[in-house]
Parts: sequence; structure tokens; C-alpha cells
Amino acid sequence: MSGIKYAKAVAALRAMENSLLSRNDIDQLIASRSQAEMNALLASKKNTDTPQSTLKEVWELIRNYAPDSEELKILLYRNDFHNLKAVIKAMIHNRDPKIYYIEPSNVSLETLTEAIGKKEYELLPEHMRQTAEEAYDLVTETLDGQLSDTLIDRSCLEAMQEDAAKSGGEFMQRYAELTAAAADIKTAYRCSLLKKQYPFIEKALCGTKELEKGDLARAAAEGTEALFAVFENSGYSDAAALLKESPAKFEKWCDDIIVELAETARMQAFGPEPLAAYFIAKEAEIKDIRILTVCKESGADNETITERMRKLYV
Amino acid sequence: MSNGIILALIGAALASLLAGIGSAKGVGLVGEAASGVVSVDPSKFSKVLILELLPGTQGLYGFLSSLLILNRIGILGGNAADLTTAQGLGFLAASLPIAVVGLISGIIQGRTAAAGVSITAKKPDHNGKAIIMAAMVETYAILALLVSLLMIVNVSI
Repeated sequence: MSGIKYAKAVAALRAMENSLLSRNDIDQLIASRSQAEMNALLASKKNTDTPQSTLKEVWELIRNYAPDSEELKILLYRNDFHNLKAVIKAMIHNRDPKIYYIEPSNVSLETLTEAIGKKEYELLPEHMRQTAEEAYDLVTETLDGQLSDTLIDRSCLEAMQEDAAKSGGEFMQRYAELTAAAADIKTAYRCSLLKKQYPFIEKALCGTKELEKGDLARAAAEGTEALFAVFENSGYSDAAALLKESPAKFEKWCDDIIVELAETARMQAFGPEPLAAYFIAKEAEIKDIRILTVCKESGADNETITERMRKLYV
Repeated sequence: MSNGIILALIGAALASLLAGIGSAKGVGLVGEAASGVVSVDPSKFSKVLILELLPGTQGLYGFLSSLLILNRIGILGGNAADLTTAQGLGFLAASLPIAVVGLISGIIQGRTAAAGVSITAKKPDHNGKAIIMAAMVETYAILALLVSLLMIVNVSI
């Protein structure tokens, strides 16, 4: 019954879904001959005055309709932890953290800078405090940025899974699990290629229900053959096959599987899931437009661009 | 004032009160959903308005039942009948179908209509389907109203 508090937000976003790009629109964009033609097509899809060309704007829009949507904050954990990495490194190297800070984020740049600068970690959300303290100590003691990055990345995935489990929502739990699985597969594969040792790999991985951390770390330390054998026996054999083929195809799979999850919220009339789905849909759309623009600028052919396009929600 | 009159008045109050609460909750929920759509696309106002009106009928049914009870016991004319406890209980019992069904169906119809608002938002041409689905809930409120009315007019005074 608590889902009905999102009635207004869900109805508003359903109306906005009409302005999301479809596969047909993407095909037209690919076929367009100039940036002006692309812009005209994108402008014709707008059915609201609210700007939604960046994820920050999309997030603000969702927050306006559903201000107390705690469950949705999990969608921004990756940005939050990225910003934590950025602020720690910027402070160590006496640089302005602003240029590395990405939005939308649950933690403002000012809060992050103050918390790290003054070591007042209680200013941060609970799930970030210990990680921030450990990462800062680690980087100042060892000057090894990779170690602190590894710690922060793993903590991010763990926080996502823990908080999604606490929220009780199946959708967010699956989102956190898929995000963690994709990240673990990538990390394990890279570690395997770089011939990293088991203790390092074990610290870098987060583990999920389907991909047990220990098994994955042992296999990655053994070599890529053993690693792919673990993937084959898990629910991620498709992902492993794509990873073998090309990292670009695997990256596309990582994005597509999240959009597929978002599609499951299409039939829901209430609850935070349609809101999360809209955010994911816009994320995929913005990424597609960015890839398309870059590909066009670099003179890639239409076939290559089509291959790289992410799955769309519509 | 006799116990019978007090029981009949409680019945009249319950019919308006519970059915009214059901309608208020239902209309409120659809109104929230409708305002979400209208904030994005104001041209859909008339379509979502029909959906918002649907859960409002339970409150009217409750009001109608209350009026009928008040009329039968003579309160409206200023000449309150001297009812026995059994007659008062009869009116109280007569008010219950529309009171209880009105409360529950108002809320449930509100949820159905609010979900229908999403259909109107995405596919305005299919608005009729959303109205039909929400209107199905109305059947049970109408049946409850009929039972209440039959009971109210047949309590012998």
C-alpha cells in the first residue's frame, strides 16, 4: 500500500515516457547527416518544458515529484563513491575537486570536501563514513591510489547491496546485484589479465548471490580459463561469451541488462520502481546520444554506431 | 430521545461518514495521479477528470442513504418518530451495506482509477479502457446501495 504515495510521480513520468527516444528515433539519428539535423529531431521529441538533457536535471525532476524516495538514492551510490575518490585524490594533490565531481549525487561537494578535509566523517551518510576514513588513511599512508580506489569501488557495491536489501524492494535488490555482478566480472577479468595475486583480487571483489567472491578470486588468480569456467557455471555465461569477444560488447551488455530490469517496472502502477526505471531509461538514452555524437564526430560508419547503441526502454 | 432514534441516527451518520471517507480517499488518490499527468500535459485534464470523478459516487450513495433514513424517522420534518430499539437497530443495520462497501470500494476504485491515469498518460486513445476497469468496482457499491435502500424503506415504523 505504501507504493500509492508515488501515484502522482508515476503518472507524471508515464506522461513523460512518451518523449523517450525509441529505436526508430535512434535509427533516424544515426541516419542524420548533421548535428543540426540531430538537434531538430531531439527537439521534436520534447513534450515537457522541464529540461532533461542531463542526468542531474532528470534526477531533480524525479525528486520534485517524489521528494521522500529514500529507495531511489541507491541509484546514485556509484556517483557518490566516485566523488569520494575524486575528492580524496584532489585534496592529496592540491587540486580543485570540483572538476572531478559528477552529478547527480546524494552528497554535495561542500559536504564531501569538509568531511574529508576536517576528518569529520560523521557528516557523510552512514554507508560512506568508514570507507572514507579507511580510504583516506590508506592513500596518505601508502600513496597507492589504486588500493584506495579498489576499497572505495568494493564498498560502493557492498553499500548498494546492503541498502537495497534493507529497503526490501525486489527491483532495487536486483539492480544492486546486477551492478555488482557486472563490476565483479570486469574486475576479476582485468585482475586475471594483469596476473594479480589472490589477496588483492579478493579485496577488490564484492561478491553477489550468484558469483561467490572467494570462488571468483581464486579462479581469477588461476587464470582466464579458470575464470571463464566459473562464469559459464553461473547465470552470467552470456556476459562471459561477450567479454571473450570484445570488452565493448561486454560494456553494452552491462548497460542493456539494467535497461531490461527497468522494463519489468513498465507494468507497475505504483511504487518507486517506475521512477527508478525512468531514471535508468534516461541514463541509457543520454549515453546513446553521447556515443552517437562521438561516433559521428570521429567519422564512424552507421553500422558501427548501430552496434554500439544501448538497449532502450521504449 | 429514545434509544431507537439514537441508533437510527448512528446508522445515518455511518452511511455518510464511511462512504464519504472512502470517496474522499479514492478521489484524493486519483487527483494526485491526475495532477502529475496534467503538470506534464495539461491537455489531458478532461480525460483524467472522468477517472477522478468515479470514486466520488460512493460518498453520494452514502449521502442518499442517510437522507432517506433521516426522512423516514421524521428528523427532516421536525417530527421525530418514537422508535423502538428494534426499529432503530433495523435502520442501523440498513445503513451498514453502503457504509462498509462504500468505504472499501471507494478506496479500491481510487487505486484502480489512479492506475488508469497512467494508461491515459501514455496512451490517451485508450482512456475508455481505464474508465471501464475503474467502473467495474462501482458495481459492488451500487449493489450495496440497493440493499441499503430496500432495507431502509422496508423497516416498519
